[in-house]
Formats: sequence, C-alpha cells, structure tokens
Amino acid sequence: MIGRLAGIRHLREWSVALVLAALLAALAFLAPAFFRADYLRGLLVAKASVLIVALGMTLVIVARQIDISVGSQFSVCGVIAGLLSTAGLPMGLVALGTVAAGAAMGATNGLLVAGLGLPSIVVTLATMTILREALRWLREGQFVLGLPDDFQWFGLGQLAGQWTVILAAAAFFLAAAWGLRHLGAGRAVYAVGSDAEAARLAGLRPRFVVFLVFLAMGAVTGLASLLSAIQFGVVDPNSGAGLELQVIAAAVVGGTAISGGRGTPMGTLLGVALLGTIGPALVFLDAAPEWEKAIQGLFILAAVAVDALAWRKR
Amino acid sequence: MLLRMRGIVKSYDGVRALRGVSFDLAAGEVHALVGENGAGKSTLVKAITGAVVPDAGEILLDGRPVALPDPTTARSLGIRAVYQQPALFPDLSVAENIALGLGAGRAFRRVRWRALRERARALLARAGADIDPEAEVRRLSMPEQQLVEIARAIGAGARILVLDEPTASLGGREVERLFGVIRELRAGGTGIVYISHRLEELPEVADRVTALRDGELVATHPMQAVSRADLIRMMVGRDVSAVFPKRPMEPGPTRLAVRGLTREADGIRDVSFDVRRGEILGLAGLVGAGRTETARLIFGLAPCDRGVIELDGRPITIRSPADAVAAGIAYVPEDRRRHGVIPEMSVADNTTLAVLRRVAAHGWLDRRREDALAEAYVERLGVKTPSVAAPVGSLSGGNQQKVALARWLATDPKVLVLDEPTQGIDVGAKAEIHRLMGDLAARGLAIVMISSELPEILGMSDRIAVMHAGRVAAVVDRAGATQESLLALALGEAAPAPTGGGP
Amino acid sequence: MSRPRLTSAQFGLVLVLLIEIAVFSLTGRNFATRDNAFEVARLSVEIGLLALAMTPVILTGGIDLSVGSLMGLSAVLFGKLWRDAGWPIGPAIAATLLAGAAAGAGNGLLVTRLRMPPLIVTLGSYSLFRGLAEGITGGVDNFTGFPAGFLFLGQGYLGGILPPQLPILLAAALGFWLLVHRTTVGRALVAIGFSPEGARHAGIAVERHVRLVYLMSGCVASLAAVIYVAHLGQAKADAGTGYELLAVTAVVLGGTSIFGGRGGILGTLLGLVTIAVLQNGLRLSDLPAELAGILTGALLLAALGADRLRATARRPPGEAPTAPAPLPESTEVPVKNSQVAFLAAVILLAAGLVAASNWLVVRSIVREADRRDDPAGARAAGSGDAATAASGGGAAAGPRRKRVTVAMMPKSKGNPYFVACRKGAEEAAAELGVDLVWDGPTDPDPAKQNEVIDTWITRGVDVIAVAVENRAGISTVLRKAQARGIKVVTWDADAEPDARSFFVNQATPRGIGEALMDNAARILGGEGEFAIITASLTAGNMIDWQKEIEKRRAEKYPGIRLAALRPCDDLQKKAFDEATAILGAHPEVRVIMGICSPAPPGAAEAVKQSGRGDVKVLGLSLPNMNKRFVHEGITDCIILWKTADLGYLTVLAADALARGTLPPGADGIEAGRLGRIAIEGDNILLGTPFVFTKDNIDDFDF
Repeated sequence: MIGRLAGIRHLREWSVALVLAALLAALAFLAPAFFRADYLRGLLVAKASVLIVALGMTLVIVARQIDISVGSQFSVCGVIAGLLSTAGLPMGLVALGTVAAGAAMGATNGLLVAGLGLPSIVVTLATMTILREALRWLREGQFVLGLPDDFQWFGLGQLAGQWTVILAAAAFFLAAAWGLRHLGAGRAVYAVGSDAEAARLAGLRPRFVVFLVFLAMGAVTGLASLLSAIQFGVVDPNSGAGLELQVIAAAVVGGTAISGGRGTPMGTLLGVALLGTIGPALVFLDAAPEWEKAIQGLFILAAVAVDALAWRKR
Repeated sequence: MLLRMRGIVKSYDGVRALRGVSFDLAAGEVHALVGENGAGKSTLVKAITGAVVPDAGEILLDGRPVALPDPTTARSLGIRAVYQQPALFPDLSVAENIALGLGAGRAFRRVRWRALRERARALLARAGADIDPEAEVRRLSMPEQQLVEIARAIGAGARILVLDEPTASLGGREVERLFGVIRELRAGGTGIVYISHRLEELPEVADRVTALRDGELVATHPMQAVSRADLIRMMVGRDVSAVFPKRPMEPGPTRLAVRGLTREADGIRDVSFDVRRGEILGLAGLVGAGRTETARLIFGLAPCDRGVIELDGRPITIRSPADAVAAGIAYVPEDRRRHGVIPEMSVADNTTLAVLRRVAAHGWLDRRREDALAEAYVERLGVKTPSVAAPVGSLSGGNQQKVALARWLATDPKVLVLDEPTQGIDVGAKAEIHRLMGDLAARGLAIVMISSELPEILGMSDRIAVMHAGRVAAVVDRAGATQESLLALALGEAAPAPTGGGP
Repeated sequence: MSRPRLTSAQFGLVLVLLIEIAVFSLTGRNFATRDNAFEVARLSVEIGLLALAMTPVILTGGIDLSVGSLMGLSAVLFGKLWRDAGWPIGPAIAATLLAGAAAGAGNGLLVTRLRMPPLIVTLGSYSLFRGLAEGITGGVDNFTGFPAGFLFLGQGYLGGILPPQLPILLAAALGFWLLVHRTTVGRALVAIGFSPEGARHAGIAVERHVRLVYLMSGCVASLAAVIYVAHLGQAKADAGTGYELLAVTAVVLGGTSIFGGRGGILGTLLGLVTIAVLQNGLRLSDLPAELAGILTGALLLAALGADRLRATARRPPGEAPTAPAPLPESTEVPVKNSQVAFLAAVILLAAGLVAASNWLVVRSIVREADRRDDPAGARAAGSGDAATAASGGGAAAGPRRKRVTVAMMPKSKGNPYFVACRKGAEEAAAELGVDLVWDGPTDPDPAKQNEVIDTWITRGVDVIAVAVENRAGISTVLRKAQARGIKVVTWDADAEPDARSFFVNQATPRGIGEALMDNAARILGGEGEFAIITASLTAGNMIDWQKEIEKRRAEKYPGIRLAALRPCDDLQKKAFDEATAILGAHPEVRVIMGICSPAPPGAAEAVKQSGRGDVKVLGLSLPNMNKRFVHEGITDCIILWKTADLGYLTVLAADALARGTLPPGADGIEAGRLGRIAIEGDNILLGTPFVFTKDNIDDFDF
C-alpha cells in the first residue's frame, strides 16, 4: 500500500501538511488560545528568519551540497548589523552591509567548494568553527548595546515592523518559490543537483552554479539575521547557535533530498511550520518541555523513513 | 556531404578501437552502421558527438575541418545523439528534461511551463511516445526514457542525429512510429546515423549501410544492394589468430544446472542451461540479450522471481554474492573498474578480497601470506605490475583483468562465470587469458564465458548457448556452429533445432 | 594502505605537530613536561574514543552525528541503572555499553535497510537521543555520589602519574587499529568505502559491515560516556554536547576522506593529538582559547586543500571514465606536489601562529606596562621559585615583594556576565600588582573546566579562582591543585568545601531564590501565576535556583502558582519565543522570571510586543541589557550583585590568600574600596543580591 503512495506527486509535502493539520487541529481543540491573532502574528515574526535561512538551505541541498556554517554566519551577521548601526549608519546601509557580509562569507564557502572542489560538509565544518571562535574572541559574548532608536523595527514601530518582517519573509518565500520554479537560474540549480555531468552537457556551468548557491546562502543568511536582529533592542551574539541543524532538519522533513535535485520551497515552508509548531504546541498543551528534542528527532526520522519505505516497495 | 570523416584512429590503453576508419553522411540520408559488439561502432559515434577525441584523422562538417573537443561543441554544431543508456536528469520532469536538452535558458528569463509542456507533448507525440510530460523521469521505464531522449533530439532540430539502438527495447507499434519520425526528419534534411542489431529493419529506414569489424571499415554499400546474408557476412570474420582454442576434452558430470531462471524486472525469462566439469559454455548474444543479467542472478547480485540453480545435482539457495562465493561460484564481471576490481586498492588487496577468511587466521590478516598469494598469482597469470603493493588502477586494462581473475581463482571455485573476459585488452593479454581458461577447464572447472566476440566464442567454447531477448534461443555444439549461424540466432533470425542440448 | 607507513597527509600532520611542539616549548610554560603530556592525553580520551569509532564509519563513506547525543543518553542510562535500579557499577556499565550498541545498530539498520543517507539518519537520532536523555531525567535530574573506585577511572592516577583512562584509549586505539588495518573486517570496510558495488561483487556482505560500524560507534560512544561520568563524577543529560563535530574534525584532519576508503586510525590519532596539543599549548602560552578553534578550522582547510591538490595532480578532471588515465600514485611528481602543498600550509600556519602570539604578547606587555608604575617591570614568571622580584607599585605600595599570579576562570567565556566580573578583577589586579590570567572553556562544558585547571597546574600559578560549573566534577582536580601548593578559591558557584580555601559568595542560591520569589510575590500581590525561563534544563546553578524559588513559594506564597518552566538555551531570541508562547498559552501569567542573563530582555521584548501591560518581567541579568525595559516599566526589577565587585573581591581574596594574610578562620577581610567584608565560616560574603530598579539602574554600567 505504501508502494502505491509513492506514485502521488508531492507525497512528502502532503504528508507533512497532514501531520501539521493534525497538530493544529489538536491545538484548536485543546488550546484555542494558540489561534489568537496577535499570538500567531508573533509566531510568524519569530519563525520568519528561520524560514528564510531554511529556504537558502533548500537551495544548497537541492544543489547537492550542504552548509553547516549558517549558524555561525547568522551570529556574525547579527553582530555586524548591530555594530554598523551603533556606528551611526542609516538603516539602509546597515541592511546592505549585513547582507554583503553574509554574501562574503557565503562566497568564501563557495570558492572553497566550487573553486577547489572540496567536500562542502568539511569546508563548512571548518568555516563554522573559524567564524564562531573568531566572533567569540572579538566580542567575548557581549551583547551589542546602545543601538539607536531606528534599529528596532527599522524605526517603524512594533506593528508596522512586525508586518515588515512577515511580509519580507513572505515575499522572499514567494520569490524563492517562483524563482526556483519559473526562472532559468532556479532550474539550473535543480539540474546541477540532479546530475552535474548531464547539466554540463546541457550547457550549464555546474561549478559556477554551486558557487552562486553558496553566495546566495550567505546573503540570505545575512538578510535573515538582520530581520531577526531588528526584532530586539539589543543584539545577542549567539543568535545563530544551533540554527544549522534546525534548518537542515526543516528542509529534509519538507522533502528535500540530501542526494540533490529534489525539494521545494513549499515543502520547506511546511517543514519549518511543523518543527516550529512543535515547541509552542508543547507549551500550549502543557506538555513537559524536556521531550521536545526527542519528538523533533522522531519527526525527522519518521518523515524520511516514510519516503524511504515508499520508494523501497516499488 | 554533410559530414566526412577520414582515417579516424583511436586507442584505449594501447588497444586499437578504430584503425583508420572513414565514414560520411549526406544531408537527408539515413546511414546504418553495423558490426559486432566491439567492432568500433560506439567509438566512431563518440568521435562524431565529441565524447572522444580521435588520436588521428580529420572530421569535416560541410566540407570544413572541425575540432570536436567536447560534446558541448558538437551540440552547438547541431550534432545530437540518443544512446541506449539515456543521460537524463532523473529528478526533473519529462518536459523539463526535453527543454534542458535543447539548451539552458537565460538565468533570469521566465520558464514558460505551459509552453514547455505543450512542446514536450508535441515532440513526444512525434517520437511516438505516450508519456505524460509532467512525469518525473526516474519513474519512467528504460524504453520510455529512451523515447524522451529521441523526442529531445527531434526538438533540437539536429542536422546530424545519431541513434544508437533506438529500437532495442521498443514494441512493434512504437518502432513503426519511430520510423515515421526518422523518415520525416530525413525529408527535412537531417543526416541520421543509425545503429541497430535488428538487421530486418534496416531496409525499411536506411539508405546506405557501413559495416565495421575489429575497428576497421569493411565496406559501405547502398542498402538495397545488400541482402541480410551479405550483412552478416560483412560483420563476421573477425581475426581469429588471437584465440588459443581450447583443447577438446571429455567433459565430466554436470556441475552447474540452471532451470527456468526468471526475473521479469530484467526481462530474463525461463533461462535454462547446464555446464559440466571441464567444460566451457559460451554464452553468446547481443548486448541487451540478458547474458549479464543471467550471470548476476546466478551470482546473487539480484534476486530471481523463479528458477532453480543446482550445483553438483543439489539445488542451492543464493541470496547474496557471499552465498555464491561460499557455494563455489565465481563471477568476473564485465565492468572491470566499477565491479571487477577496486582500482584504489593494491594488487595484493584486490587479489585476496574474496578469500580474506582463508588468508587470515581467525580474522587476522597475514600480510606475508597475502603478498605471497598475490605474488603467486602475479607470476602465474603474468600480471605486469611494479609490485603487489601498486594500486590496481595504475595497471593496464589487461593486467587489471588478470587481477580480477586472480581474485576469483584464489577462491578455488567450482564454477567460473566470465563476463566479457577479454574486452578492451590487448592481444597478448587476451591470448594469455585464453590459455589460462583452457588450463582451468582442464583441471575440472566448469566455465561459463559471456562474450560478444564470435571467434572467441567459437574458439573457446565446448558448447554455445545463444541468448536472444532474455531467453536462451538455442544451445549448440561448437562443431556445428559457424559465426553466421550464431549471429543469426542472436539476431533472432532463425531458430534451428537445438543440437546437443543438456544431458 | 594497510602498511604502517605514513601517508603524505599524515606526514604533513606530523610536521604540524612538531612545529606546534617547537613553538609551544618556547612560548608555553612547562609545556614540554611529562605531566603535561599525560594531562593532554587524559583530556583527549572522550573525544578520542568517539573519533576512533568514527573513523571506520567515515571509512565506509558514512558519518555518525549522533555520538555526542548518545553520550548524554548513555550517561543518563548509566546513572539510572546505578542509582535508581540499584545495579552495581560493573553490570551497569555493561548494560550501558549494550544499550549504546543497540542505539548504534538502530542507526545502522535505518541506513542499510531503508537506504536512508547516514547524515539524515544520524541527524534525526542526534535530536532523538538527546531528547530521550532529557526526557528521562526531566532535564534536571542528575546522578552523583559514585563510589571512589569508579571515579578513580576518570580522576585518579595509576602509579601516581598515569591517568587510568589513558590505557583504555590506547587499548581502543590499538583495537581499532588492528580491526581496521589488520583484520578481514577492516579490509572489507576499506573496500566498501572505495566502492560499495565493487565490494559487493567481491562477495563482501556490505550491509552487515555497515551495520557493524554504526553498532561499534554507538557502543564506543557509551564507553566514552561512562568515562566522562567517571571524569566529572556526575551523570547528566548534557554529557558530550557538541562532541560529534569535534570527533569528525579529528578524523578528517587525520586524512580520512569524507567520501570513504582512504584513511586510518593512525591519522585519526595524529589529528586528535594535533588539536589537543594546539589547545593545551595556546593555553600554556596565555593565548586565547578561541585561537585553537580558528587554527583548527584553518588546518582542516589546509589539509583538505593539500589533499585536493594531490588528487588533481594524480587525475586531471574531466577525464572520461571510459578512458581511464592510469593512477600513478607511486610516481614521484604527485607526492612532491602534496608535500610542497603541505609544507606551504604548515609554513602559513606557523607564520600565523607566531604572528598571533607576537601580537598578543606585545599587547599584553604594553597593557602591563601601562598598568605598572615600576619601569623595570619584568614579566614575572608564575611559579614560585622562578619568580623575579618586582617592586610593588600602585595601591600595594610597601616593601618589595614577589608578584602573585592569579588564574581566574569564568564558567564559560563569551558570557557577558563574566565579562562584567572580569572588569572588577582587572581593577584589583592593577591595584595590587597581581598577574591575572583569565581563561575558561569556550563552550559551557563542565569537562572543559577541568581541562583548563589541569593546564594551569602544569603552567604553574599561585592561586586558582574558579566559578564552578559542576561541583562534583571539578573538586578532584582542585584538590590536586592544592596538593601541588596552589591556593584555590571559588567564586560565583562553589565546589566541595575541602577542595578550596574560601568561596567568594556573591549570594547564596537561597538568597537569590528568595529575592526573586519575594519580588515576584510583591508584583503579584501574593497570588496568581508566574512562569520561569531558564537557560537549559540541565544547567546546575539554574536547577539550584529553581529549587530555592520553589521552596520559598511553597513556604510563604501558597497562593502563587508556577504555570510554566521553559528553557531558552541561553539565547535572547529563544527566550523571546518561549515568553511569547507562555503569554499565549497561559493568559493568567502575570510575572515572567528569567534566571539567565539573556532571558529577562528576551521576555521583556515579548511582553512589550504582546502589548500586555499587565505582565511584568524580573530576573537575573545585567543592568545594561535591561535598562530600557526597566524604564519602560515592563521589567520591574533586575536582581544581581555588583559583578565588578565580585571580580574585585575575588582577586583581592586570592592575593591575600597567596600572601598568607588571609588565614583560615578569619572573620573578615579589608577589601580596598569595598571596605571590610565579612567572612562567615569559609564564605567571603559580598552581601545580599542587589535589586536594580528604575530609580537606581542608571547608576550602573555593566
């Protein structure tokens, strides 16, 4: 029976959506307070930056690579945003500088992976350590304090700021979903991840594509870090701790194949939504918080196992 | 002339695949290319598509010399090929595969999916395929994937189109449609190189036919000027001097018996044969006839749906290669570098890989025993290697094959299955391997030899099983067989009453 | 590949190692000593075991990210069996190892049966195992009081010098070396790593071997967990956090290819030692510990790059597989290339190392010169007899006296609270003419604290002042320091009383708990609901504070209810998320109490954004982070002592202890600008926690 399921298009997206729906239904029944508009808005704002990084990670994994340095990049970008702002730069330049800093870090990864042909998992393991320790050395874990008033919410005020973050993430999601599906550049990533040699024969330049993917990952991380930092009046220098595994898990749960060539922004959105709802759901259901990680682990394994089973039975 | 090739020479590892072949193709012509496996057809085609660069010779396109250093260049000049093993993106849809095959779009131009699908649908229809353009390619069967390739090539509007066995896996109706497409393209001025083993279909589509043999051009004729018998005569008659015929001997009792072996997924149906002690059974047939697949079933590399394998009269159960090895069956596979040896590992390590338990004492490796064993085989098989510690990948093809053989001889097997044992190796090494096979058989080993070289089959085998389309078409004695009769059987041309079947 | 011969990658590592040793022998104090060598080895045991077992996994082309989490699960399981089920130590260890093997086999089954990628499988079990560990203990439970015989395994000395876990590591190394390089299994693993299909065609049972490596990896992770527990004297769910990547780093640095096939145990050991020596040497050279991570990363990239150059030299890219180029591995050219590449990498690294150390030495000398009035202020060596006399300057004017070296450790570096403490410590050091060494673990890992103290013992200091992360775990090494004539004080959090002379007590857990609860009750008016956001469910001091808060609540405020307790991983953002969820899920909550420094600002931001004017925040944090919320009236109050005073008093007490002016039983100490500070028993009392409110918070800047 499972074998027949494999024939369904977007099986993973549907199954994740189903589980998410079940979770939301349980919440609606047991803890209707979850659905209060302002709470949901807050939740969306909180998950916006995770979604953006997870979409970048989807791109990377679709291209058959991986980037475990995004957490460190995220932390560094946040601190850079804070420091640029305290240095008195206008927010526009702060945003630009943050994204540029992310892009530079991503480009470094890209050069090492695509340029030298090194395995991405080891390269990004190394850059993860280097960035994290360098940041710790220079900042000693100190929060960036004394930010000007126009830093938080870009000086727009809370409600407008929240909507800015939500809309920015939504726009990014739509752009990513549309671009990956409907732009030549997006399809090139799928082609390269599916079969780099065939892609070369089709006239694409796989190495260049991989470089750009890492560059984009860095820039996207910078953007996400900025959108996360401006939600607060001070910048936490550890803001990206553990982010890399969180977003990889979200992408994988959402159906992105680690072997490349497969995965959709929609799936990743569902993955982020599912994994991001488990934590709050436990609070609302008054469940013991100590089981959260175990439940997340089970979800990851179950999601991948269902797919593996479906394919095996064919 | 659209394409003119003069004196093309290409060698792999010192083995000459093409020895100064000339070939030409006119616009609006279908030029068939025939020859046995290994005659040099594939290499010639690869020289056209830029996949290999000839060592010597010139290629003229529209009368102007061109260099084809890589497939991309060839594609940009309007040269397309459809291979038997499709090179598609498995994770992408059919429509997208067709679109990408027609060249990558601009990075920031919108992909018009509706247009892509419509175009794919139209092209697939022209290729005579009933395939949903939105289906993922990895869910398609092999023939379906091939049709996608053909549709893609049609869409590319290629000036030169190479079709390598396009009909091998197609059904009758699909073949008819494909021929329609070919005629249409020809009418539009496309030059088509058509490779096929189905000789009966050549008169239907081809204008001219060229036969290759041993990397040399035999002849080029207008299609209507040659009969099927002529074609077979042109193809066969390879150089037999390199074969050391097996000394005839009285075979012993039946060692290996295969009864009704079936695996639908591979198209293997009801394969039966048996091999006696001291006997070499030749397994002849065309590529895709199911010979390698049969060997894989015997060696436990794939599970069979039905069928029995008996060793010395007792049925045995083989679920994995480990079971086969334990039972005394050895298999030297066709793809040497991927399966036969592990190129990164040393000669010694490769030699002992299947007998680790035996060279080791309670699981502990004994380097000296391993080296001694490897050195013994290096000497016995005449492997040319600087030392047994050298990685196998650094040796020539013939020596790699000897190492692969050494690995299995070290297991002291009862049954040895050799899959294309002398493919792509030089004449000297080939002779040595043949002599060795003779020796092994003389010592009571039962050998199954898969080979696409008819002289080799005829020279080495005691009996010959010819496979066609996943079945054993006939089992014949060497005495009664000729190259022509075997080729006719392999082509599915005739089914003479089997002579000298099993006991 | 199985011959005991160094590959060029390993050759490069040996060179790096030799350079490290040469450089650190010059820059580090007591670096090249036997005791130091043993300590380096002891501290590498847990990660070393993981790396050893990881080597065959990576050799087959896989990876196991779950080992760190499995250590946590195994530690908890072991503790449960011993304490709750009442099993003797031996069977408990055996059962733990079995459980670890079973967990590893689970990974292996998912990888082989379902053909799931190892990265994803072990990413899932990475979460699952840690989650189970936390779930079983509820996060807070931890197991201590193990018998001395067991603790000897992790803390003792065989024959007075040899750490007992070292033979275990060596045995494991030998075992894995034999397995990988001397047995049929190892040969099969290498074959699988190079080519799974090729191995299958050779009759090797590929799936069984792959399952075996994951099983071994799990079993060894459990062994590492048992040693970790013996080392720290405590079993908790957070054991081994982050160790998986350290192990992978050691393996890959050792030249094992992440694609499988190439590599071996010797390389892993070299990689391990290279990293361990780097960390140890940097510490003994008074260089920041963060440099170790940076250099390790750089080294990893250099090793990869060199390997890549070698491969490129061997086989030009784009060569069609149908026409294989020979692999002239034995010819001279590529070997030379790789050596050149490695040499270049090594020179670069050494240059970087020397440059960094020069820069830091110059910087610290300049700083010291700034601090000192004494123009002849030679840099004093720390350990007793080697000390040069320098005339005391500054506030400690008087007779010529030897300079005291105080080594002071926060719970972890990169925590703003401790950075604030450091300011006061430096102030006191300048006043008294004390050489202050400030270092600590970069990750909040209790095992790392022991590592730093061991390094200090080797380096030689007069006083060690430590903010203890793990009471049971650190006391053995502190006693060892005392036995070597080093005075020990604790600050911020205490060790066992006999492991230190004095505890600089900024506030007892009880004092903190009561202050927090009393203020919360004040805000609530004696009844209602409140919620706590803590750093992690496993952090020791947080657990103590929670207990005291609960005790106070039960005693004095029965009308108040604790609605939720959530961890925030010491992240502002997570604290914000949790507070938002709590506000939504528990509308009756009126007070959110954050008991780690990022929690109150995170929670306050959440309250602010929710627009809930009826909810107040309070907690333990730093004034600067919270000023705006206090002024906005969202945060009612922040409770903390004056951190600079804590650091100041600690250095002062340490100095007095070293000079003998602070005898046991003293009832007070003259503490410079703080006046006279009372001593109660062996607790030097800074005073009661300070409550920062709207009215006074602007007077402080930390």
